[in-house]
Amino acid sequence: MTNRHSTHSAGRREKRAGGGRYLWLVAIFIVAFLCIIARFWYLQVVRGDEYWRASSNNIIRDIDLRAPRGNIIDRNGHVMAENRPSFDVFVVPHIFNKHDSAQTLELLQRYLHLSDHEVNTIKKRVQSKVAQVPVRRDVTRRAVAALEADRLRLPGVEVRVIPHRVYPYNHVGAHALGYMAEVSTDDLQRLSPYGYTRGDYIGRMGLERSFEEVLRGSPGIDRQVVDVRGIPQGEAETQFLIGDYRKITPVPGRDVVTTLDAGLMETIDQAVRDYPSGAVVALDPRDGSILALYSKPGINPNSWTGRLSSMEKRRVDNSPFTPMLDKTVNAYFPGSVYKIVGAAAALEEGVEGVHDEITCHGGYMLGGRRFRCWKRGGHGPVDVAGALQHSCDVYFYSIADKLGTDVLAEYAYKFGFGEESGISLNSESPGRVPTKEWHRTHSPHGYQHGFSLNAVLGQGNTMSTPLQVALAYGAIANGGDLYYPRIVSEIRNSEGETLFEYPPKIRRALGLKDSTLAAIKDGLYKVVNEKGGTAFALKPDNLEISGKSGTAQVHAIGSVRVANRDKAFQLRDHAWFVAYAPSKDPEIVVAVFLQHAGGGSSEAAPVAIDVIKAYFEEKERLASPQLSASPAPASAGDLD
Amino acid sequence: MHNPSDQFRILLSRVDWVLMGILFALGGIGIFNLYSAAGATDGFTVHAVQAGWFGVGIAIIAGLSLVDYRLIERWAYIIFGTAVFLLVLVMLFGTELNGSKRWLNLGFFLAQPSELLKIAVIIVVARYFNDRDHEGPLGLFQLVKPTAIVLSGVIFVLMQPDLGTSLIVLAIYGFMVFFEGMRWQSILIIALLGLMSLPFAWFFGMKEYQQDRVISFLQINDDHLGDSWQVRQSVIAFGSGRVWGKGTQDGTQIQQGFVPEHETDFASANWGEEHGFMGMLLMMGLFMALLLRALWISSNARDHFGAQVGVGVAALFFSHIVVNLAMVTGMLPVVGITLPLISYGGSSMLTMMLALGLLMNVHMRRSPLVSR
Repeated sequence: MTNRHSTHSAGRREKRAGGGRYLWLVAIFIVAFLCIIARFWYLQVVRGDEYWRASSNNIIRDIDLRAPRGNIIDRNGHVMAENRPSFDVFVVPHIFNKHDSAQTLELLQRYLHLSDHEVNTIKKRVQSKVAQVPVRRDVTRRAVAALEADRLRLPGVEVRVIPHRVYPYNHVGAHALGYMAEVSTDDLQRLSPYGYTRGDYIGRMGLERSFEEVLRGSPGIDRQVVDVRGIPQGEAETQFLIGDYRKITPVPGRDVVTTLDAGLMETIDQAVRDYPSGAVVALDPRDGSILALYSKPGINPNSWTGRLSSMEKRRVDNSPFTPMLDKTVNAYFPGSVYKIVGAAAALEEGVEGVHDEITCHGGYMLGGRRFRCWKRGGHGPVDVAGALQHSCDVYFYSIADKLGTDVLAEYAYKFGFGEESGISLNSESPGRVPTKEWHRTHSPHGYQHGFSLNAVLGQGNTMSTPLQVALAYGAIANGGDLYYPRIVSEIRNSEGETLFEYPPKIRRALGLKDSTLAAIKDGLYKVVNEKGGTAFALKPDNLEISGKSGTAQVHAIGSVRVANRDKAFQLRDHAWFVAYAPSKDPEIVVAVFLQHAGGGSSEAAPVAIDVIKAYFEEKERLASPQLSASPAPASAGDLD
Repeated sequence: MHNPSDQFRILLSRVDWVLMGILFALGGIGIFNLYSAAGATDGFTVHAVQAGWFGVGIAIIAGLSLVDYRLIERWAYIIFGTAVFLLVLVMLFGTELNGSKRWLNLGFFLAQPSELLKIAVIIVVARYFNDRDHEGPLGLFQLVKPTAIVLSGVIFVLMQPDLGTSLIVLAIYGFMVFFEGMRWQSILIIALLGLMSLPFAWFFGMKEYQQDRVISFLQINDDHLGDSWQVRQSVIAFGSGRVWGKGTQDGTQIQQGFVPEHETDFASANWGEEHGFMGMLLMMGLFMALLLRALWISSNARDHFGAQVGVGVAALFFSHIVVNLAMVTGMLPVVGITLPLISYGGSSMLTMMLALGLLMNVHMRRSPLVSR
């Protein structure tokens, strides 16, 4: 055997005698193992009882500390969205399950008046490995007192004070502010890296959504050692078990200061009370600040945040007036308020002079087809200001015939139509400015020259949002600067220090000649202030308002004119009125859009003029404090 | 005699069933332990995956046994070169996790070539010492060449950075050199050099997180365990197991998720908590049996290469076991070394199985393949 071995591995080194070294290795192994076993002996046998006491019956609980969300504040410091404490009841499964869960549930059901269905849901959810199962949010103080009093019989049941969102102005401004909802499962997949967990709230719609990262703070953690009943343990045990890993303090969310005027929005809410559906945008033409974004019908964010009743949800889902849609940034036919585009184009391109007149006979012939003016008898000779004043269609047919679709579109883009204004709220619609190219791809028979005659009136395929209209008139009002809409003026931290400011920003200069602007302004002035103007009947006594009415046909006029009240609601005209005041140095632009309400001058104009009047009355009231302030003598505190 | 089926029959008769028994006992403990701990991790069935890897490992042992280890010996340098090449690939295209680049993404599996290096070093060092003849114990200069070979692989592991694995590889090499025989003077000089290089390693070689670990280790007896939450919880888990343990799936420390990485590096904390000192004695006994069996196989090997492989495999297991258990009981800083056959993870399992496959191979070919 040995012989064969040696021949087989000829040339290979034979094994050297390593017996001594094997002993050394074994010795090393045994010594090292004995050291480790000694360590186990020390930990498990000598100090075992100590560690056992520390770990048994002790359970580490990480309690999420919700950061209070930042407030949304209006320009005058009125809070439009804030937090109040809400008492929320949770079940902590790994404590709850260790006790008589049936009895606990029964007690819970009695105290909180849970339905059987809710109880079953809880039963199901405590089986899964989750940190906590919400039972009910926002319970009454009486229920909290009852739960606290019977705490020993309710192991694993916890009441926590959690900030709950409230909106003091209810449905007013709901679209601009938004509301809060629990994060959905889909959201969680995307957002869990950012620290969102199940049961967290997230902003939906409006500023709550657009400024989610700003408003939301970062949550903290309170790590506690509790016993099997969930009662926190003493300091010594806590220190022994978790040392210094105690608490991460939450960072509260930042406040968002808006340019909105809550009082004005309430005024608007009153002014449109007779109309079921529409939108009002008010802004300061001097810097593009949004004073009011109002869409009707609204929802009440207070009932949408937290537990939404199925009745409320059904009411909103089934409403024909699309309450969830923010109509201030949704596009509609603008109608005659769009005529400023044609007027500017005609004067700039030299198609018509400022004082050139066109005679209106009540219609305009093009290619064998008669385009009618809204006034059957015609307006007679009108210049550009007169055409705006009377809203004469024939004047605009004539210039559109000469200018063509693309030149009109070019000017429409200048005014900011056809593109998003950049307010970044509620998925703003860009609207639509039809061009030849657009018609070629979208119209059934391609482009026809006649389309421009519809486009100039804000009909046909032209779509604009109330916000775009307000911004365009703001640019006319301030002498030619188109601003970005500015809805947030600054971000503040919870101590009230300014962290970030949003200064007003000019989007572009219109680049119109002074004579053009003056002529358009003259026309808008005459609409309200001269006999024959479409809104002359509403002229206020002590204020000069300029404006423009619009009545957008939603449905093609057939051979017979049908009165609005005889049409189905969805076929009725949209009523528009855009106004700014004072006419000399405008401070406010108000665009009123009333969906399917009828004539612009009869329906929308009174609303717009009421809003402007209320705005100036309020301004006056604030400027003369002796009339409005309480009779109490002024103290030092009042000066602050 | 040269009939293949005949050979296969002889091979089968030479399987070391003692080694297999120890292997199955430890693997079983590992899988059972993961099953028991899995409750802490939302029901992910790690134990089933681990059982799968164990099966793959057994297949590797079987496959490796069919190849004569002298073929592996012949290919030693190629195997080592491949391992180094893979490490270079990691440096270039590796996947980075937690700040270190250790993995190659194979699509279905994140392979860790530094694990392969452990095996490759055993093979190449055994081959080197088998080839060189020397009289008496090794001198310092005779060590320069093999040390350079080993370092050419270790350097890439250090750069990943993976201090733990580098030290394991060096420890294996150290044991093999010790087995080869060294002069006492040489050992003394190396020890002195090592001590002198410590400050340099601290300031230039170690990343901040590694320094933090060492600091947190040195402060282990302070009341405030700054950075060693993990170790503190692991120590409490072990201690609270007392003599007989808390029972399967009743380890509160683990079940409540106190101990991070309780499936991988800290898997033994679950065993210690649930089965106490007795459970640990059982585990240590099995490990010791494995080590002694490896040395026994080494002493019975037919040539020097086989003997060195046996020592290398024993050294691999020994250093893993000691470093891991010392780490989870707070005696060494946390360096991320797994407990063989107990910790969850494919790379670790496959490495250990490759090593055991080599060992089995040496055992089966302790004498020529002829029927007695």
